[in-house]
Amino acid sequence: MSAAFRLELRRGRMLVLWMGLVTVLYAGGITLFYPTILKNAAEFEKLLQVYPKELMAAFGIEGSLGDQGTFFNSYVFQFLWPLVAAIAAILLATRVAADADRGFLDLPLATPLPRLRYLAASIAGQAIAIAAISAVMIGSILAVDLVIEPNLETGRLILSGVHALAFGLAIAGVTTFLAVVFLDRGRAGGLMAGILIVMYLLNVIAQLSPDLATLARLSAFHYFNVKPLIDAGTYPLGDSLLYLGFGVVGWLLALAAFRRRDLTA
Amino acid sequence: MNQVIEAAGLTKWYGKRRGILDLDFDVQPGEVFGFLGPNGAGKTTTIRLLLGFLRPSGGHASVLGLDCWRQASQAHAGIAYAGSDPGYLGELTAGAQLDYLARLRGLAPGAWRTVAERLALDPDVPVKKLSRGNRQKVGVVQAFMGREPLLVMDEPTSGLDPLMQREFLALVAEARADGRTVFLSSHNLPEVERACDRVGIIRDGRLVEVSTVAGLLASHWRSVSLVLEVPPPVGMFDLPNVRVATSSARDVHLMVQGDVNPLLRRLATIEVRDVSITTLEMEDVFLRLYDGSTPEPDGEPAGDAGPAPDRGPAPERGSGVDRDAGAAEAGR
Repeated sequence: MSAAFRLELRRGRMLVLWMGLVTVLYAGGITLFYPTILKNAAEFEKLLQVYPKELMAAFGIEGSLGDQGTFFNSYVFQFLWPLVAAIAAILLATRVAADADRGFLDLPLATPLPRLRYLAASIAGQAIAIAAISAVMIGSILAVDLVIEPNLETGRLILSGVHALAFGLAIAGVTTFLAVVFLDRGRAGGLMAGILIVMYLLNVIAQLSPDLATLARLSAFHYFNVKPLIDAGTYPLGDSLLYLGFGVVGWLLALAAFRRRDLTA
Repeated sequence: MNQVIEAAGLTKWYGKRRGILDLDFDVQPGEVFGFLGPNGAGKTTTIRLLLGFLRPSGGHASVLGLDCWRQASQAHAGIAYAGSDPGYLGELTAGAQLDYLARLRGLAPGAWRTVAERLALDPDVPVKKLSRGNRQKVGVVQAFMGREPLLVMDEPTSGLDPLMQREFLALVAEARADGRTVFLSSHNLPEVERACDRVGIIRDGRLVEVSTVAGLLASHWRSVSLVLEVPPPVGMFDLPNVRVATSSARDVHLMVQGDVNPLLRRLATIEVRDVSITTLEMEDVFLRLYDGSTPEPDGEPAGDAGPAPDRGPAPERGSGVDRDAGAAEAGR
Protein backbone atom coordinates (compact mmCIF):
# COMPACT_ATOMS: atom_id res chain seq x y z
CA MET A 1 0.00 0.00 0.00
CA SER A 2 1.54 3.29 -1.04
CA ALA A 3 2.31 6.09 1.38
CA ALA A 4 -0.07 8.38 -0.51
CA PHE A 5 -2.94 5.91 -0.20
CA ARG A 6 -2.22 5.30 3.48
CA LEU A 7 -2.31 9.03 4.07
CA GLU A 8 -5.65 9.31 2.27
CA LEU A 9 -7.09 6.60 4.48
CA ARG A 10 -5.73 8.34 7.54
CA ARG A 11 -7.15 11.67 6.44
CA GLY A 12 -10.56 10.11 5.87
CA ARG A 13 -10.85 8.62 9.35
CA MET A 14 -12.37 11.59 11.14
CA LEU A 15 -14.83 12.28 8.36
CA VAL A 16 -15.97 8.67 8.33
CA LEU A 17 -16.21 8.72 12.10
CA TRP A 18 -18.41 11.83 12.26
CA MET A 19 -20.54 10.99 9.26
CA GLY A 20 -20.86 7.45 10.54
CA LEU A 21 -21.99 8.76 13.89
CA VAL A 22 -24.62 10.94 12.23
CA THR A 23 -25.93 8.04 10.17
CA VAL A 24 -25.93 5.66 13.14
CA LEU A 25 -27.90 8.12 15.25
CA TYR A 26 -30.34 9.05 12.52
CA ALA A 27 -30.77 5.80 10.57
CA GLY A 28 -30.67 3.69 13.70
CA GLY A 29 -33.00 6.05 15.50
CA ILE A 30 -35.53 6.26 12.70
CA THR A 31 -35.49 2.47 12.38
CA LEU A 32 -36.47 2.22 16.03
CA PHE A 33 -39.64 4.12 15.13
CA TYR A 34 -40.55 1.82 12.27
CA PRO A 35 -42.55 -0.71 14.34
CA THR A 36 -44.61 2.15 15.79
CA ILE A 37 -45.22 3.58 12.34
CA LEU A 38 -46.14 0.14 11.06
CA LYS A 39 -48.67 -0.43 13.84
CA ASN A 40 -50.26 2.96 13.30
CA ALA A 41 -49.90 3.16 9.53
CA ALA A 42 -53.55 4.05 8.93
CA GLU A 43 -53.44 7.00 11.35
CA PHE A 44 -50.19 8.20 9.87
CA GLU A 45 -51.70 8.11 6.40
CA LYS A 46 -54.57 10.28 7.55
CA LEU A 47 -52.07 12.64 9.15
CA LEU A 48 -49.93 12.87 6.04
CA GLN A 49 -52.94 13.70 3.90
CA VAL A 50 -53.20 16.94 5.86
CA TYR A 51 -49.75 18.05 4.66
CA PRO A 52 -49.36 19.77 1.31
CA LYS A 53 -48.51 17.67 -1.70
CA GLU A 54 -45.34 19.70 -2.21
CA LEU A 55 -44.01 18.66 1.19
CA MET A 56 -44.60 15.00 0.43
CA ALA A 57 -42.82 15.44 -2.88
CA ALA A 58 -39.93 17.18 -1.19
CA PHE A 59 -39.42 14.21 1.11
CA GLY A 60 -40.12 11.64 -1.57
CA ILE A 61 -43.05 10.17 0.33
CA GLU A 62 -45.28 8.16 -1.94
CA GLY A 63 -47.43 5.32 -0.68
CA SER A 64 -47.98 4.10 2.84
CA LEU A 65 -45.32 4.73 5.45
CA GLY A 66 -46.07 1.27 6.76
CA ASP A 67 -44.33 -0.16 3.70
CA GLN A 68 -40.67 -0.78 4.33
CA GLY A 69 -39.82 0.64 0.92
CA THR A 70 -41.70 3.88 1.42
CA PHE A 71 -40.47 4.33 4.98
CA PHE A 72 -36.77 3.76 4.40
CA ASN A 73 -36.76 5.35 0.97
CA SER A 74 -38.37 8.51 2.37
CA TYR A 75 -36.65 8.87 5.72
CA VAL A 76 -33.23 7.40 5.08
CA PHE A 77 -32.35 7.07 1.41
CA GLN A 78 -33.96 10.22 0.06
CA PHE A 79 -33.40 12.39 3.11
CA LEU A 80 -30.39 11.35 5.17
CA TRP A 81 -28.21 9.80 2.49
CA PRO A 82 -28.24 12.64 -0.05
CA LEU A 83 -27.14 15.04 2.69
CA VAL A 84 -24.49 12.74 4.11
CA ALA A 85 -23.27 11.60 0.70
CA ALA A 86 -23.09 15.14 -0.65
CA ILE A 87 -21.19 16.48 2.36
CA ALA A 88 -18.80 13.54 2.50
CA ALA A 89 -18.23 13.38 -1.25
CA ILE A 90 -17.65 17.12 -1.57
CA LEU A 91 -15.26 17.23 1.38
CA LEU A 92 -13.36 14.18 0.18
CA ALA A 93 -13.30 15.03 -3.50
CA THR A 94 -12.16 18.62 -3.05
CA ARG A 95 -9.12 17.55 -1.01
CA VAL A 96 -6.82 17.99 -3.97
CA ALA A 97 -8.02 21.60 -4.22
CA ALA A 98 -7.72 22.06 -0.46
CA ASP A 99 -4.17 20.74 -0.63
CA ALA A 100 -3.43 23.31 -3.31
CA ASP A 101 -5.06 26.06 -1.21
CA ARG A 102 -2.86 25.16 1.76
CA GLY A 103 0.29 24.84 -0.32
CA PHE A 104 0.55 21.17 0.55
CA LEU A 105 0.06 19.87 -2.98
CA ASP A 106 3.56 20.96 -4.00
CA LEU A 107 5.20 18.79 -1.39
CA PRO A 108 4.17 15.28 -2.51
CA LEU A 109 4.22 16.33 -6.16
CA ALA A 110 7.84 17.48 -5.84
CA THR A 111 8.77 13.89 -4.96
CA PRO A 112 8.96 11.00 -7.45
CA LEU A 113 5.24 10.39 -6.84
CA PRO A 114 3.55 10.95 -10.22
CA ARG A 115 0.54 13.25 -10.33
CA LEU A 116 -1.70 10.42 -11.50
CA ARG A 117 -0.82 8.23 -8.54
CA TYR A 118 -1.39 11.07 -6.12
CA LEU A 119 -4.88 11.72 -7.44
CA ALA A 120 -5.62 8.02 -7.84
CA ALA A 121 -4.81 7.54 -4.15
CA SER A 122 -7.21 10.36 -3.33
CA ILE A 123 -9.93 8.79 -5.50
CA ALA A 124 -9.45 5.40 -3.85
CA GLY A 125 -9.69 7.11 -0.48
CA GLN A 126 -12.95 8.79 -1.51
CA ALA A 127 -14.49 5.52 -2.66
CA ILE A 128 -13.49 3.68 0.49
CA ALA A 129 -14.71 6.42 2.81
CA ILE A 130 -18.09 6.72 1.07
CA ALA A 131 -18.45 2.94 1.03
CA ALA A 132 -17.66 2.86 4.75
CA ILE A 133 -20.29 5.50 5.55
CA SER A 134 -22.84 3.68 3.39
CA ALA A 135 -22.02 0.42 5.17
CA VAL A 136 -22.37 2.10 8.55
CA MET A 137 -25.77 3.44 7.53
CA ILE A 138 -27.06 0.05 6.42
CA GLY A 139 -25.36 -1.65 9.35
CA SER A 140 -27.07 0.64 11.84
CA ILE A 141 -30.48 -0.13 10.31
CA LEU A 142 -29.80 -3.86 10.38
CA ALA A 143 -28.39 -3.67 13.91
CA VAL A 144 -31.56 -2.00 15.16
CA ASP A 145 -33.55 -4.56 13.17
CA LEU A 146 -32.18 -7.22 15.51
CA VAL A 147 -34.20 -5.75 18.37
CA ILE A 148 -37.41 -4.75 16.56
CA GLU A 149 -40.31 -6.53 14.98
CA PRO A 150 -40.97 -7.25 12.16
CA ASN A 151 -37.71 -8.26 10.54
CA LEU A 152 -36.55 -6.06 7.69
CA GLU A 153 -35.50 -7.26 4.24
CA THR A 154 -31.77 -7.59 4.99
CA GLY A 155 -30.57 -8.46 1.50
CA ARG A 156 -32.62 -5.72 -0.11
CA LEU A 157 -31.38 -3.14 2.37
CA ILE A 158 -27.79 -4.16 1.65
CA LEU A 159 -28.45 -3.75 -2.07
CA SER A 160 -30.00 -0.37 -1.31
CA GLY A 161 -26.71 0.50 0.36
CA VAL A 162 -24.90 -0.46 -2.84
CA HIS A 163 -27.18 1.84 -4.83
CA ALA A 164 -26.60 4.58 -2.27
CA LEU A 165 -22.86 4.06 -2.66
CA ALA A 166 -23.18 4.48 -6.43
CA PHE A 167 -25.06 7.74 -5.84
CA GLY A 168 -22.28 8.99 -3.54
CA LEU A 169 -19.58 7.97 -6.00
CA ALA A 170 -21.28 9.93 -8.76
CA ILE A 171 -21.12 13.07 -6.65
CA ALA A 172 -17.51 12.33 -5.74
CA GLY A 173 -16.46 11.74 -9.35
CA VAL A 174 -17.97 14.93 -10.69
CA THR A 175 -16.70 16.93 -7.72
CA THR A 176 -13.17 15.58 -8.19
CA PHE A 177 -13.23 16.82 -11.75
CA LEU A 178 -14.44 20.26 -10.66
CA ALA A 179 -11.81 20.35 -7.92
CA VAL A 180 -9.05 19.58 -10.42
CA VAL A 181 -10.36 22.14 -12.90
CA PHE A 182 -10.62 24.97 -10.37
CA LEU A 183 -8.00 23.85 -7.82
CA ASP A 184 -10.07 25.89 -5.40
CA ARG A 185 -12.05 24.05 -2.76
CA GLY A 186 -14.57 26.84 -2.29
CA ARG A 187 -15.44 27.15 -5.97
CA ALA A 188 -15.53 23.40 -6.67
CA GLY A 189 -17.49 22.54 -3.54
CA GLY A 190 -19.84 25.49 -3.92
CA LEU A 191 -20.57 24.69 -7.55
CA MET A 192 -21.26 21.03 -6.79
CA ALA A 193 -23.49 21.95 -3.86
CA GLY A 194 -25.34 24.39 -6.11
CA ILE A 195 -25.81 21.75 -8.79
CA LEU A 196 -27.20 19.31 -6.23
CA ILE A 197 -29.61 21.86 -4.79
CA VAL A 198 -30.88 22.72 -8.27
CA MET A 199 -31.29 19.02 -9.05
CA TYR A 200 -33.15 18.46 -5.81
CA LEU A 201 -35.53 21.33 -6.57
CA LEU A 202 -36.04 20.08 -10.13
CA ASN A 203 -37.00 16.68 -8.77
CA VAL A 204 -39.50 18.23 -6.36
CA ILE A 205 -40.97 20.59 -8.95
CA ALA A 206 -41.31 17.75 -11.46
CA GLN A 207 -43.59 15.91 -9.03
CA LEU A 208 -46.00 18.80 -8.66
CA SER A 209 -47.47 18.68 -12.15
CA PRO A 210 -47.52 16.14 -14.98
CA ASP A 211 -46.48 18.94 -17.35
CA LEU A 212 -43.22 19.33 -15.45
CA ALA A 213 -42.55 15.63 -15.05
CA THR A 214 -39.81 15.52 -17.68
CA LEU A 215 -37.71 17.92 -15.59
CA ALA A 216 -37.11 15.08 -13.17
CA ARG A 217 -34.91 13.35 -15.72
CA LEU A 218 -32.38 16.15 -15.30
CA SER A 219 -32.08 15.41 -11.62
CA ALA A 220 -29.78 12.83 -10.06
CA PHE A 221 -32.34 12.42 -7.29
CA HIS A 222 -34.90 11.13 -9.76
CA TYR A 223 -32.83 7.98 -10.23
CA PHE A 224 -32.30 7.49 -6.52
CA ASN A 225 -35.39 5.58 -5.49
CA VAL A 226 -34.93 2.33 -3.61
CA LYS A 227 -38.63 1.79 -2.83
CA PRO A 228 -39.09 -0.80 -5.63
CA LEU A 229 -35.91 -2.53 -4.49
CA ILE A 230 -36.94 -2.82 -0.84
CA ASP A 231 -40.57 -3.61 -1.56
CA ALA A 232 -40.21 -5.87 -4.59
CA GLY A 233 -36.56 -6.77 -4.81
CA THR A 234 -36.09 -5.00 -8.15
CA TYR A 235 -32.54 -3.70 -8.20
CA PRO A 236 -32.22 -0.40 -10.16
CA LEU A 237 -29.24 -1.66 -12.12
CA GLY A 238 -29.56 0.96 -14.87
CA ASP A 239 -29.68 3.78 -12.36
CA SER A 240 -26.73 2.38 -10.42
CA LEU A 241 -24.72 2.07 -13.62
CA LEU A 242 -25.68 5.62 -14.55
CA TYR A 243 -24.33 6.87 -11.23
CA LEU A 244 -21.21 4.77 -11.53
CA GLY A 245 -20.77 6.05 -15.07
CA PHE A 246 -20.85 9.65 -13.88
CA GLY A 247 -18.46 8.83 -11.08
CA VAL A 248 -15.96 6.97 -13.22
CA VAL A 249 -16.10 9.47 -16.07
CA GLY A 250 -15.66 12.30 -13.59
CA TRP A 251 -12.61 10.63 -12.10
CA LEU A 252 -11.11 9.79 -15.49
CA LEU A 253 -11.58 13.37 -16.66
CA ALA A 254 -10.09 14.57 -13.40
CA LEU A 255 -7.04 12.33 -13.86
CA ALA A 256 -6.58 13.50 -17.44
CA ALA A 257 -6.93 17.15 -16.47
CA PHE A 258 -4.70 16.83 -13.42
CA ARG A 259 -1.95 15.21 -15.45
CA ARG A 260 -1.78 18.08 -17.88
CA ARG A 261 -2.83 21.17 -16.00
CA ASP A 262 -0.57 23.88 -14.62
CA LEU A 263 -0.19 23.88 -10.87
CA THR A 264 0.18 27.54 -10.08
CA ALA A 265 1.42 28.77 -6.73
CA MET B 1 24.36 15.42 -18.73
CA ASN B 2 26.76 18.36 -18.44
CA GLN B 3 24.61 20.78 -16.48
CA VAL B 4 22.33 20.05 -13.57
CA ILE B 5 19.82 22.64 -14.75
CA GLU B 6 19.52 23.94 -18.28
CA ALA B 7 16.98 26.49 -19.47
CA ALA B 8 16.83 27.65 -23.04
CA GLY B 9 14.37 30.31 -24.14
CA LEU B 10 12.18 29.33 -21.21
CA THR B 11 8.95 31.28 -21.34
CA LYS B 12 5.71 31.17 -19.41
CA TRP B 13 2.54 33.12 -20.02
CA TYR B 14 -0.52 32.88 -17.79
CA GLY B 15 -3.04 33.72 -20.45
CA LYS B 16 -2.11 37.28 -21.34
CA ARG B 17 -0.21 37.82 -18.11
CA ARG B 18 3.54 37.60 -18.20
CA GLY B 19 5.26 34.91 -16.21
CA ILE B 20 8.83 34.72 -17.47
CA LEU B 21 10.28 35.54 -20.85
CA ASP B 22 13.02 33.82 -22.77
CA LEU B 23 15.21 32.69 -19.88
CA ASP B 24 18.58 31.18 -20.77
CA PHE B 25 20.75 29.90 -17.98
CA ASP B 26 22.41 26.80 -16.66
CA VAL B 27 23.55 25.56 -13.29
CA GLN B 28 26.73 23.55 -13.01
CA PRO B 29 27.13 20.42 -10.89
CA GLY B 30 28.17 21.23 -7.32
CA GLU B 31 27.31 24.89 -7.69
CA VAL B 32 25.17 27.02 -5.39
CA PHE B 33 23.19 29.21 -7.74
CA GLY B 34 21.29 32.16 -6.34
CA PHE B 35 18.19 33.33 -8.13
CA LEU B 36 17.43 36.89 -7.20
CA GLY B 37 14.60 39.20 -7.94
CA PRO B 38 11.89 41.33 -6.38
CA ASN B 39 8.38 40.06 -5.75
CA GLY B 40 6.58 39.26 -8.95
CA ALA B 41 9.78 39.10 -10.98
CA GLY B 42 9.23 35.47 -11.95
CA LYS B 43 11.36 33.53 -9.48
CA THR B 44 8.59 31.23 -8.33
CA THR B 45 7.35 30.74 -11.89
CA THR B 46 10.85 29.66 -12.90
CA ILE B 47 11.08 27.22 -10.02
CA ARG B 48 7.65 25.78 -10.78
CA LEU B 49 8.69 25.29 -14.39
CA LEU B 50 11.84 23.50 -13.24
CA LEU B 51 9.75 21.26 -11.00
CA GLY B 52 7.33 20.46 -13.81
CA PHE B 53 4.39 22.08 -12.02
CA LEU B 54 3.92 24.39 -14.98
CA ARG B 55 4.11 23.64 -18.66
CA PRO B 56 6.37 26.06 -20.56
CA SER B 57 4.67 28.34 -23.08
CA GLY B 58 7.93 28.34 -24.98
CA GLY B 59 11.50 27.14 -24.74
CA HIS B 60 12.77 24.22 -22.79
CA ALA B 61 14.09 23.34 -19.37
CA SER B 62 15.78 20.22 -18.13
CA VAL B 63 16.89 19.08 -14.71
CA LEU B 64 19.51 16.34 -14.32
CA GLY B 65 19.21 15.73 -18.04
CA LEU B 66 15.46 15.12 -17.88
CA ASP B 67 12.77 17.26 -19.42
CA CYS B 68 11.12 19.21 -16.63
CA TRP B 69 7.59 18.81 -17.95
CA ARG B 70 7.51 15.43 -19.68
CA GLN B 71 9.76 13.59 -17.24
CA ALA B 72 8.87 15.48 -14.10
CA SER B 73 8.40 12.58 -11.73
CA GLN B 74 11.65 10.91 -12.87
CA ALA B 75 13.47 14.21 -12.41
CA HIS B 76 11.98 14.57 -8.93
CA ALA B 77 13.89 11.48 -7.84
CA GLY B 78 16.96 13.70 -7.89
CA ILE B 79 15.42 16.86 -6.42
CA ALA B 80 14.74 18.01 -2.89
CA TYR B 81 12.42 21.01 -2.79
CA ALA B 82 11.48 23.60 -0.21
CA GLY B 83 8.94 26.32 -0.95
CA SER B 84 8.66 29.82 0.45
CA ASP B 85 5.57 28.99 2.48
CA PRO B 86 5.59 25.27 3.16
CA GLY B 87 2.17 23.76 3.06
CA TYR B 88 0.72 21.53 5.69
CA LEU B 89 -1.97 19.06 6.42
CA GLY B 90 -3.94 20.06 9.46
CA GLU B 91 -4.12 16.45 10.51
CA LEU B 92 -0.38 15.84 10.70
CA THR B 93 2.35 16.74 13.15
CA ALA B 94 5.60 18.04 11.74
CA GLY B 95 7.18 14.65 12.28
CA ALA B 96 4.33 12.77 10.61
CA GLN B 97 4.37 15.12 7.64
CA LEU B 98 8.13 14.73 7.29
CA ASP B 99 7.79 10.95 7.56
CA TYR B 100 5.15 10.97 4.84
CA LEU B 101 7.32 13.00 2.50
CA ALA B 102 10.36 10.88 3.40
CA ARG B 103 8.49 7.72 2.38
CA LEU B 104 7.48 9.31 -0.92
CA ARG B 105 11.15 10.08 -1.54
CA GLY B 106 12.24 6.56 -0.63
CA LEU B 107 13.83 7.66 2.65
CA ALA B 108 13.52 5.89 5.97
CA PRO B 109 11.00 7.31 8.45
CA GLY B 110 12.86 9.58 10.85
CA ALA B 111 15.46 10.53 8.23
CA TRP B 112 14.69 14.12 9.15
CA ARG B 113 15.64 13.92 12.84
CA THR B 114 19.24 15.12 12.62
CA VAL B 115 18.35 18.22 10.61
CA ALA B 116 15.29 18.87 12.76
CA GLU B 117 17.47 18.86 15.88
CA ARG B 118 19.89 21.30 14.29
CA LEU B 119 17.02 23.65 13.54
CA ALA B 120 15.38 23.08 16.94
CA LEU B 121 12.15 21.90 15.35
CA ASP B 122 9.61 20.23 17.63
CA PRO B 123 8.30 17.32 15.52
CA ASP B 124 5.36 16.56 17.79
CA VAL B 125 3.41 19.74 17.14
CA PRO B 126 0.82 19.76 14.32
CA VAL B 127 2.23 21.80 11.47
CA LYS B 128 -0.99 23.81 11.42
CA LYS B 129 -0.22 25.11 14.92
CA LEU B 130 3.37 26.06 14.22
CA SER B 131 4.39 29.68 13.84
CA ARG B 132 5.41 30.97 10.42
CA GLY B 133 9.09 30.56 11.25
CA ASN B 134 8.70 27.07 12.64
CA ARG B 135 6.64 26.04 9.64
CA GLN B 136 9.46 27.33 7.48
CA LYS B 137 11.81 25.08 9.43
CA VAL B 138 9.69 22.09 8.38
CA GLY B 139 10.31 23.08 4.77
CA VAL B 140 14.05 23.43 5.30
CA VAL B 141 14.26 20.12 7.18
CA GLN B 142 12.32 18.44 4.41
CA ALA B 143 14.75 19.79 1.80
CA PHE B 144 17.85 18.67 3.65
CA MET B 145 16.68 15.32 5.00
CA GLY B 146 17.69 13.37 1.88
CA ARG B 147 20.74 13.08 -0.32
CA GLU B 148 19.26 14.18 -3.63
CA PRO B 149 21.87 15.71 -5.95
CA LEU B 150 19.83 18.89 -6.49
CA LEU B 151 18.22 21.15 -3.91
CA VAL B 152 15.67 23.63 -5.22
CA MET B 153 14.59 26.19 -2.68
CA ASP B 154 12.22 29.11 -3.10
CA GLU B 155 12.92 31.78 -0.49
CA PRO B 156 13.51 29.12 2.16
CA THR B 157 14.64 31.47 4.93
CA SER B 158 11.74 33.91 4.91
CA GLY B 159 10.41 33.84 8.44
CA LEU B 160 13.49 32.20 9.96
CA ASP B 161 15.26 34.00 12.79
CA PRO B 162 18.92 35.03 12.26
CA LEU B 163 20.20 32.05 14.20
CA MET B 164 18.27 29.65 12.00
CA GLN B 165 19.27 31.57 8.89
CA ARG B 166 22.86 30.97 9.89
CA GLU B 167 22.16 27.27 10.39
CA PHE B 168 20.51 27.20 7.01
CA LEU B 169 23.60 28.71 5.41
CA ALA B 170 25.70 26.06 7.15
CA LEU B 171 23.47 23.36 5.69
CA VAL B 172 23.88 24.86 2.23
CA ALA B 173 27.64 24.95 2.68
CA GLU B 174 27.62 21.29 3.72
CA ALA B 175 25.52 20.37 0.72
CA ARG B 176 27.98 22.14 -1.54
CA ALA B 177 30.89 20.39 0.17
CA ASP B 178 29.11 17.09 -0.55
CA GLY B 179 29.03 17.98 -4.23
CA ARG B 180 25.31 18.64 -4.31
CA THR B 181 23.90 21.42 -6.41
CA VAL B 182 21.71 24.12 -4.91
CA PHE B 183 19.28 26.41 -6.72
CA LEU B 184 18.34 29.08 -4.20
CA SER B 185 15.73 31.70 -4.92
CA SER B 186 15.81 34.69 -2.64
CA HIS B 187 15.51 38.41 -2.37
CA ASN B 188 17.83 38.45 0.57
CA LEU B 189 21.07 39.71 -0.96
CA PRO B 190 23.35 39.15 2.06
CA GLU B 191 22.15 35.55 2.24
CA VAL B 192 22.90 35.03 -1.42
CA GLU B 193 26.27 36.70 -1.03
CA ARG B 194 27.21 34.24 1.69
CA ALA B 195 25.79 31.10 0.15
CA CYS B 196 26.11 31.32 -3.60
CA ASP B 197 28.79 30.86 -6.18
CA ARG B 198 26.82 32.49 -8.96
CA VAL B 199 23.63 34.45 -9.16
CA GLY B 200 21.01 35.09 -11.76
CA ILE B 201 18.91 38.22 -11.45
CA ILE B 202 15.42 38.25 -12.83
CA ARG B 203 13.32 41.31 -13.24
CA ASP B 204 9.97 41.73 -14.96
CA GLY B 205 10.20 38.12 -16.08
CA ARG B 206 13.53 38.54 -17.83
CA LEU B 207 16.93 37.37 -16.77
CA VAL B 208 18.96 40.56 -16.67
CA GLU B 209 22.15 39.30 -15.15
CA VAL B 210 24.02 36.07 -14.55
CA SER B 211 27.16 36.68 -12.61
CA THR B 212 29.50 35.38 -9.98
CA VAL B 213 28.85 36.76 -6.53
CA ALA B 214 32.10 38.68 -6.75
CA GLY B 215 30.90 40.21 -9.98
CA LEU B 216 27.61 41.19 -8.43
CA LEU B 217 29.28 42.65 -5.37
CA ALA B 218 31.51 44.72 -7.57
CA SER B 219 28.49 46.14 -9.31
CA HIS B 220 26.51 47.34 -6.33
CA TRP B 221 26.98 49.96 -3.67
CA ARG B 222 27.09 49.81 0.10
CA SER B 223 26.27 52.62 2.43
CA VAL B 224 28.94 53.38 5.05
CA SER B 225 28.10 55.76 7.89
CA LEU B 226 30.95 57.04 10.03
CA VAL B 227 31.15 59.07 13.22
CA LEU B 228 34.72 60.29 13.59
CA GLU B 229 36.54 61.67 16.60
CA VAL B 230 37.72 64.67 14.58
CA PRO B 231 36.77 65.98 11.12
CA PRO B 232 38.54 63.95 8.42
CA PRO B 233 41.58 65.33 6.65
CA VAL B 234 41.09 66.61 3.11
CA GLY B 235 41.24 63.80 0.56
CA MET B 236 40.71 61.16 3.23
CA PHE B 237 38.09 59.35 1.12
CA ASP B 238 39.58 59.90 -2.31
CA LEU B 239 39.37 56.32 -3.46
CA PRO B 240 38.25 55.09 -6.87
CA ASN B 241 35.28 53.15 -5.51
CA VAL B 242 34.21 55.56 -2.76
CA ARG B 243 31.88 58.55 -3.03
CA VAL B 244 31.07 60.97 -0.24
CA ALA B 245 27.31 61.18 -0.10
CA THR B 246 27.05 63.59 2.85
CA SER B 247 29.61 65.04 5.21
CA SER B 248 29.12 67.34 8.17
CA ALA B 249 32.04 67.81 10.55
CA ARG B 250 32.55 64.39 12.12
CA ASP B 251 29.57 62.60 10.50
CA VAL B 252 30.35 61.16 7.11
CA HIS B 253 28.12 59.09 4.86
CA LEU B 254 29.91 57.26 2.09
CA MET B 255 28.85 55.08 -0.80
CA VAL B 256 31.26 52.24 -1.55
CA GLN B 257 31.15 50.14 -4.65
CA GLY B 258 32.56 46.64 -4.45
CA ASP B 259 35.61 45.95 -2.32
CA VAL B 260 35.52 47.74 1.05
CA ASN B 261 39.11 46.86 2.04
CA PRO B 262 40.81 49.99 0.63
CA LEU B 263 38.38 52.13 2.61
CA LEU B 264 38.91 50.07 5.77
CA ARG B 265 42.66 50.52 5.44
CA ARG B 266 42.17 54.28 5.25
CA LEU B 267 39.86 54.26 8.24
CA ALA B 268 42.49 52.40 10.26
CA THR B 269 44.66 55.49 10.11
CA ILE B 270 42.15 57.76 11.91
CA GLU B 271 40.09 57.61 15.10
CA VAL B 272 36.62 56.32 14.38
CA ARG B 273 33.94 56.49 17.08
CA ASP B 274 31.32 54.50 15.22
CA VAL B 275 30.87 52.83 11.87
CA SER B 276 27.98 51.04 10.19
CA ILE B 277 27.98 49.35 6.80
CA THR B 278 24.63 48.70 5.24
CA THR B 279 24.17 46.29 2.38
CA LEU B 280 21.59 47.63 0.02
CA GLU B 281 18.29 45.89 -0.40
CA MET B 282 17.73 44.03 -3.62
CA GLU B 283 15.33 46.66 -4.77
CA ASP B 284 18.01 49.32 -4.31
CA VAL B 285 20.42 47.32 -6.39
CA PHE B 286 17.83 47.08 -9.10
CA LEU B 287 17.23 50.78 -8.95
CA ARG B 288 20.93 51.38 -9.25
CA LEU B 289 21.49 48.94 -12.04
CA TYR B 290 18.40 49.35 -14.15
CA ASP B 291 16.55 52.51 -13.32
CA GLY B 292 19.50 54.79 -12.89
CA SER B 293 18.52 55.76 -9.33
CA THR B 294 21.20 56.30 -6.76
CA PRO B 295 20.98 53.85 -3.90
CA GLU B 296 20.40 55.84 -0.76
CA PRO B 297 19.34 53.75 2.23
CA ASP B 298 18.12 56.79 4.10
CA GLY B 299 16.36 58.16 1.09
CA GLU B 300 18.46 61.29 0.75
CA PRO B 301 19.66 62.16 -2.69
CA ALA B 302 23.32 61.63 -3.35
CA GLY B 303 25.52 64.38 -4.57
CA ASP B 304 24.73 67.09 -2.06
CA ALA B 305 28.10 66.85 -0.42
CA GLY B 306 30.01 64.85 -2.96
CA PRO B 307 30.05 63.76 -6.52
CA ALA B 308 27.32 61.43 -7.73
CA PRO B 309 28.65 58.07 -8.80
CA ASP B 310 29.14 57.60 -12.47
CA ARG B 311 26.57 54.98 -13.25
CA GLY B 312 27.73 53.84 -16.61
CA PRO B 313 25.62 51.85 -19.04
CA ALA B 314 22.83 49.60 -17.80
CA PRO B 315 23.24 45.93 -18.62
CA GLU B 316 21.42 44.66 -21.62
CA ARG B 317 18.03 43.24 -20.63
CA GLY B 318 17.14 39.69 -21.31
CA SER B 319 20.46 38.79 -22.75
CA GLY B 320 20.89 36.01 -20.23
CA VAL B 321 24.60 35.83 -20.96
CA ASP B 322 27.13 35.21 -18.26
CA ARG B 323 28.41 38.56 -17.16
CA ASP B 324 31.18 37.70 -14.77
CA ALA B 325 33.30 40.42 -16.17
CA GLY B 326 30.48 42.65 -17.30
CA ALA B 327 28.98 42.81 -13.84
CA ALA B 328 32.14 44.27 -12.47
CA GLU B 329 32.00 46.90 -15.14
CA ALA B 330 28.37 47.77 -14.66
CA GLY B 331 27.93 51.04 -12.87
CA ARG B 332 31.51 52.19 -13.17
